[in-house]
Amino acid sequence: MKALTGNRLDDGEAVFASGDRWVPRFADADLFEDDQAALAAEAHAKTELTVVVDPYLIDVIPSDNGYAPLSFRERVRALGPTNKPEHGKKTEGGEAIEALLHAHGAARSKGRIELIRRK
Amino acid sequence: MYRYDAIDKEMLADRVQEFREQCARRLAGELTEDQFKRIRLMNGLYLQLHAYMLRIAIPYGALNSAQLRKLAFIAGTYDKGYGHFTTRTNLQLHWIKLKDAPDILEHLAEVGMHAIQTSGNDIRNITADPHAGATADEADDPRIWAEAIRQWSTFHPEFSFLPRKFKIAVTASPSDRAATKVYDIGLRLHRNGDGELAFEVMVGGGLGRTPYLGSTIRKHLPVRHLLSYLQAILRVYNRHGRRDNIWKARIKVLVASLGPEGFAREVDEEWETSDKARVDLPDTELARIRAAFAPRDFQTLPATSTAFEAAKSNPAFARFARHNVKPHKIPGYALVDVSLKQPGETPGDCSVEQMQAVADLAERYSMDEARVHYEQNLILPHVKLDDVPAVWKALDAVGLATPNRGLITDIIACPGLDYCALANARAIPIAQAIARKFADPALAERVGDLGIKISGCINACGHHHVGAIGILGVDKKGEEFYQLTLGGSPEANATLGQSLGPALPADKVAGAVDQLVEVYLRERKGEERFLDTFRRTGLAPFKEAVYADAH
Ligand code: SF4
Repeated sequence: MKALTGNRLDDGEAVFASGDRWVPRFADADLFEDDQAALAAEAHAKTELTVVVDPYLIDVIPSDNGYAPLSFRERVRALGPTNKPEHGKKTEGGEAIEALLHAHGAARSKGRIELIRRK
Repeated sequence: MYRYDAIDKEMLADRVQEFREQCARRLAGELTEDQFKRIRLMNGLYLQLHAYMLRIAIPYGALNSAQLRKLAFIAGTYDKGYGHFTTRTNLQLHWIKLKDAPDILEHLAEVGMHAIQTSGNDIRNITADPHAGATADEADDPRIWAEAIRQWSTFHPEFSFLPRKFKIAVTASPSDRAATKVYDIGLRLHRNGDGELAFEVMVGGGLGRTPYLGSTIRKHLPVRHLLSYLQAILRVYNRHGRRDNIWKARIKVLVASLGPEGFAREVDEEWETSDKARVDLPDTELARIRAAFAPRDFQTLPATSTAFEAAKSNPAFARFARHNVKPHKIPGYALVDVSLKQPGETPGDCSVEQMQAVADLAERYSMDEARVHYEQNLILPHVKLDDVPAVWKALDAVGLATPNRGLITDIIACPGLDYCALANARAIPIAQAIARKFADPALAERVGDLGIKISGCINACGHHHVGAIGILGVDKKGEEFYQLTLGGSPEANATLGQSLGPALPADKVAGAVDQLVEVYLRERKGEERFLDTFRRTGLAPFKEAVYADAH
């Protein structure tokens, strides 16, 4: 399963594709079962010049009663920095945040690999 | 302190206006991200995991109270109420919005600051000994020369598209507080046999994937030729640097491949044929810059202060005095270290309230000066010994009086995977876990001088290669692992650390540091520091302790 993510252009916030919008909560992200649909959404996102920067697909796994990004880096993006409990999306709390906090998967982040490739 | 003149101010104002228009064009979709990215990076604006990050240059780490207050204002208005001081003595703001960036740059310009050349393949912020102008052991004030290099290198057309980024550090003391051996160029001012001021020029240092210590290519460069000689080095680098491979593009690779002698020959050839007089600083200009750093109006005071000595009856103050108060060149004065390393906090972070407090103290007690040390701490450089107890009290009230400079809890940590888009692993929580273990100041003091340095990836912003204990975050199939190195040092007799063994998982690192410290305490002889014991015993006993379970 995949989700589509990027950073919002005007404030840099980590956002996720949801229908025709970009939302800050991972729990509201569209989850793509179908790789073709995910790739099509990514291709479309790359045309949304004034909305989102460098969109890319991430792998998603089930966790607790919800879902979480497979890569730890993507979970940090979805939660905020781990050194400051008072900052970032995790402050919202609730089940969806718990699912992210308890996820155990690990994988190299495509976001990082892409970034280094383009550098 | 150097103050911008009318030309500097006009140039900055133009630059801010230009960036304002470029941001507007980007937000309107007239520029693509690929087109805009270079522009924003040229203005110090990065895009990281959670937001944009603005890296503000603090040339040679020097700040006055107005500048520090402005940074506090920006951090409080446009960020989440804090900033992060880096190993390049810059300030990073981690929660910046693109739409606010032009306003922030306008605010910075008001106090003679900017974020230009804090990114990109150009000559970056010039760093220098943070004790400059206050230490007895300097041959000259290194800020004068760092400022000259800053002016020469800012917007230098020939060197704004180098093969890779380029960092210069300047010291004028035998004890190296600017880590000059780990930068592209390290400059050490000294007096030669005839008493004339000269630079030892070290080239090709750098950490990162292939770490090197700088090699001396000239021992006694007459100071008047500094700029023409730097030009020659940069020309050779510009000509031969490996633009084809980002991992081989730094000057250290070129110096290593030609050999320091071969590289020096190329530089000399270039230098001899160049028109030195066109580039070297005219005496009048040098005098103008020197005047900005004229010795301060110090009072004649007794060398010892009864108030200072009496305050030591408080053991907490006495401990602070032992670790955070350093001798000044003028009797009756001291340098006061402001630790940004309270155990459990993020190394290098400074809240708005703390910045304001340091600004107030700088204004009232330190001739309006504060400094940033590359070890992610601040300094009040000119405090009367009589005033140190009051300064300590005020620092303590805002959590800035941790008496741990140079000790095991004075850890360098880069932002790592909590913020940085390039990171493999987190650095800050590792630092927090280690610092908590040694949070008892008596324990930290018993362990003594020990530099732990942590980087979240091989770019080595946390200087892990020169940590007595270095910790590097690596990515093992997406999991955070940490490679430990021992025996590194950034000091005058700098060394690179040696690998301890296989990388450890995150939850084992603080425990491993504990084991390393136990071995040291068991093995140490007399006054040996961790580094001295390690140099005597070698890796074996340390390795054995950490990997015993694995056998
Ligand atoms: S060392 Fe790596 S992770 Fe740390 S700040 Fe530098 S680039 Fe980022």
